[in-house]
Amino acid sequence: MASNSFANIMELSGTDWLNAELSTGTTIMAAEYDGGVVIGSDSRTTTGAYIANRVTDKLTRVTDYIYCCRSGSAADTQAITDIVSYHLDFQKVEMNEEPLVETAAKIFQELIYNYRSSFTASIIVAGWDRRKGGQVYCVPLGGMCVREKVSIGGSGSSYIFGFVDSNYEENMDKEKCIKFVAKAISLAIDRDGSSGGVVRIGVIDGKSTQIERRIIQEEQFKLL
Amino acid sequence: MSILEYNGGAVVAMKGKNCVAIASDKRFGIQAQTLSVNFEKVFEISPHLYVGLPGLATDTQTVYQRLKFRQNLYELKEGRSMSPKAFCAMLANMLYEKRFGPYFVEPVVAALDKNNEPFIVAMDLLGCMTTPDDFVVNGTCSRQLYGMCEVLWEPNLEPDDLFETISQALVNACDRDAVSGWGAVVYIIEKDKVTIKHVKTRMD
Amino acid sequence: MLSTTKKLENTGFSFDNCLRNRFLEKNGFISPKGKKTGTTIAGVIFKDGVVLGSDTRATDDTIVADKNCEKIHYLNKNMYCCGAGTAADTFQVTSMVSSNLELHRLNSGRPVPVIVACRMLKQMLFRYQGYVGAALILGGVDNTGSHLYCIYPHGSSDRLPYTTMGSGSLAAMAVFESKWKPDLSENEAKELVKDAIAAGIFNDLGSGSNVDICVIRKDSVEYIRPYECLNEKGIKRGNYKYKKGSTALLQSHTIALHLEEEIIQTINDGSSMDTS
Repeated sequence: MASNSFANIMELSGTDWLNAELSTGTTIMAAEYDGGVVIGSDSRTTTGAYIANRVTDKLTRVTDYIYCCRSGSAADTQAITDIVSYHLDFQKVEMNEEPLVETAAKIFQELIYNYRSSFTASIIVAGWDRRKGGQVYCVPLGGMCVREKVSIGGSGSSYIFGFVDSNYEENMDKEKCIKFVAKAISLAIDRDGSSGGVVRIGVIDGKSTQIERRIIQEEQFKLL
Repeated sequence: MSILEYNGGAVVAMKGKNCVAIASDKRFGIQAQTLSVNFEKVFEISPHLYVGLPGLATDTQTVYQRLKFRQNLYELKEGRSMSPKAFCAMLANMLYEKRFGPYFVEPVVAALDKNNEPFIVAMDLLGCMTTPDDFVVNGTCSRQLYGMCEVLWEPNLEPDDLFETISQALVNACDRDAVSGWGAVVYIIEKDKVTIKHVKTRMD
Repeated sequence: MLSTTKKLENTGFSFDNCLRNRFLEKNGFISPKGKKTGTTIAGVIFKDGVVLGSDTRATDDTIVADKNCEKIHYLNKNMYCCGAGTAADTFQVTSMVSSNLELHRLNSGRPVPVIVACRMLKQMLFRYQGYVGAALILGGVDNTGSHLYCIYPHGSSDRLPYTTMGSGSLAAMAVFESKWKPDLSENEAKELVKDAIAAGIFNDLGSGSNVDICVIRKDSVEYIRPYECLNEKGIKRGNYKYKKGSTALLQSHTIALHLEEEIIQTINDGSSMDTS
């Protein structure tokens, strides 16, 4: 090629990832237990084959008692979460009470539905409120919203459907539920190339404004 | 073919000792066909401030006219002349406004500022400024000009030497470019005078 | 007349030329791309602040367009931002956000939190859906401590203890991953960033020339440019100067400029303004 420009060389050698969109090829999960919900995720963010961030926190705060697990485009999910968080902060001040998880899920759903042609975002909303206790809502790509006892998402989830189906029990105690979520995500990390790093766990039980967080490193996976 | 090569043309500017020079070729063509040999791409903005606009000829003229319009407004409003820095900021913002549908010009600015310090700036077509302390080049034979200037330029050139350096750089670079040349014009800007020299070149 | 004055008040991008440019492109005239800073930029948090670093090469295709450009941009007194990607975009985005941050600082009367700058940048980049090609590393110190953010062109951000960006980021990250440790001292941090940028300069074609470093501490900023010249130009042994009169002239004329002297007189000393 006569005019083999620098940009072409960069593209051919596969290093044009700078312009590639950042995405969280991910494993995310949330499960209801006796007194609340456990949320979990891996910690890998990729641009093509490059790991842009190996310590990502995909468990993102929406309000003190509502969190979401993000998968899809990092830019889209962060922007959506910021918007939902803004709406709920506003509602909290106007109503003088903590927003419901259902409300959060509904706002997520509406945004993702209205912009379904431009967004690549699928989100699990999990949290605790006084009316219904711990709840998990799944808002996938097209903008559906459905409540589930346990929900998994992201590219790694396809490896663990069977595990989750056969091992989830209703009304587990906290420690058992944490172990179940951690185990599921560690299994997905083992098999999915786009998921990796550590397992991040969060517990929302409505008892504190700060959620309980845990990190499980790779060496501990086999102990689960 | 790049749209910047449609009409052809090149501009170069250099710093000297208490002086600054800017030069351009004089060709105007449509692809391989030369239509005019007195199309200058360097314009006077104020006595000590010149701008060269190589690129697509229609945009050379449009951008110059819009610059002049804005400069006139500035001078009417402010009652003072524009500093080179302000002028460059204005030009850069004007180009960046058209970020997603740019003017195809790559400006070069040469000036003496109010302390009579040499000032040169080059921009890309989106208005990103480059401010080196030796020379700036833009246009279809920028590659050749980079090579010539890198060899010929040295610090603290007197006006006469600066003229020889910039002319030889431009003339020899244009000789290796099919779409620029056909005469050249050089402006040597000093504190108390501006010298305009038309240089003899190959006409092929 | 009214319409022309009104036109100046338009803000935001103008798409006037798009139709024409698309027509030209359809006829086979390739639209040139803006200058890129095929860059290595990096940042780390150390014990009492943040260190940002960058190389100083700007490229236009395979041409080195600038051998010593400035890639660490000023945002506010307590924060700076390294830019990679399209040079015009990184410059314009940071300068626009810088203006808004200054207004915010004057409005609120306190140092602006770094997260505010991060939000402004990511929301601006998200609005343009990746078409404004700026990849940024934002570092700063505020009342809540030291912060380092990595902002991607599509508008996502990561908060990290150390990070790299640009075409040389892989080389630079390799240095960080092997040598970084928590609670670095200022000197260790500066040397680590220098080594990371140097790895980019020598292993990535898009990066080159010198290392610039900016240290941001609680109450002070130190912008070191250049921090280290890794590539000095060789000394010219020969003299290639043309003798006076080498260039053939067709015509020459001189415009004499009558200099006006400008005298600035200070009317009062600034400390007391007469308001009677």
